[in-house]
Amino acid sequence: MILITILLLACITFLTRYLFLHPKLPLRIGPKMESFLSFSAPAVLTVIWVPIIFIQDNQLDISFTNPYLIAATVAVIIAKKTNSIYFTLAASVSVFILLRVFL
Amino acid sequence: MSFNRKNAYLKMMQKGLLDMMPLNLAVIPWGILCGSLAIQRDFSILEALLMPLVVYAGAVQLVVIELMHANAPLATILFTAFIISSRHFLYGLALRDKLKNLPLRWRGSLGFLLTDELFALSGDKKSYKGKLRLVYALFAGGSFYISWLIWNIIGIAAGSYLPDLTNLGLDFAIAVTFIALVIPSIVNLPLLITVCVAGVLSVIFKLLNWELGLVLASVIAMYCGYVTSRIQAKRQAVNNSKIITMDKAQTENAS
Repeated sequence: MILITILLLACITFLTRYLFLHPKLPLRIGPKMESFLSFSAPAVLTVIWVPIIFIQDNQLDISFTNPYLIAATVAVIIAKKTNSIYFTLAASVSVFILLRVFL
Repeated sequence: MSFNRKNAYLKMMQKGLLDMMPLNLAVIPWGILCGSLAIQRDFSILEALLMPLVVYAGAVQLVVIELMHANAPLATILFTAFIISSRHFLYGLALRDKLKNLPLRWRGSLGFLLTDELFALSGDKKSYKGKLRLVYALFAGGSFYISWLIWNIIGIAAGSYLPDLTNLGLDFAIAVTFIALVIPSIVNLPLLITVCVAGVLSVIFKLLNWELGLVLASVIAMYCGYVTSRIQAKRQAVNNSKIITMDKAQTENAS
């Protein structure tokens, strides 16, 4: 039963990724739609990361005792200044770990 | 294949691997968490392996493992997975014109590999155009798949020895990866507005416990960015025509 569930899940994740790549789908994307869709990456990535930072235990947590918020602030500043994924990751994860240990 | 051509392919493979490398490393904690959680929630080794191998979706794996462990009805499990995964429809739409006319083997494999991370590296106007860029995407996406598999396997192997990792804050690594991808990409006002609207709405919808909030917040944010860019384009056009009429008036005066 679990195996069947896993296979069905695989079908679902593949379907959501592949569906609009299928040529037979009767759908044309005009220039307006294309311009609208060009905003999809920043929009979707942001709706994933922002709640992780601001919501702890199903509650909004905007305080200096929220290690996510402080470390993410560091990450935003470093990402803006350096444009380096490695540097941003290293610095903010270190800050995050330190805060988790000491807070 | 000439030497130069072969060299170009090798370069693109290498670039694909290198560009994806930080993301491959950033998902180490998340992958180990997914693998170990499956074992801790009584999945067999085969079942735990199949999750990253064929389902291949971090958030879906995590949520579904808990649901299956709690004996949730099949319909609930599948529906939840569909909702979480539905953001990928936007990726497919955005890349449709670039991929739809490719042979099935390219469409199928890149479609399977189309994660948040691969999509994040697909922003360039020329991405997926020409075989070299397809090879780049295949190696970037493929290396992410292999990495995801390896981190999951480590989690599965260590599963019963590890403590429950779900509350250790491992999701911070995901958040910071996306911060590192999004923040440098904000280069104009429409993008800034998109990101701000997406951020505010995502928090509100999450607090309301709205399952579809993630996709809705994205679509509204995309629309705000789009409208801003239209307004800017119109202003630009008006300004340009003003300048042209002023120029005309000046030349007429001069003559």
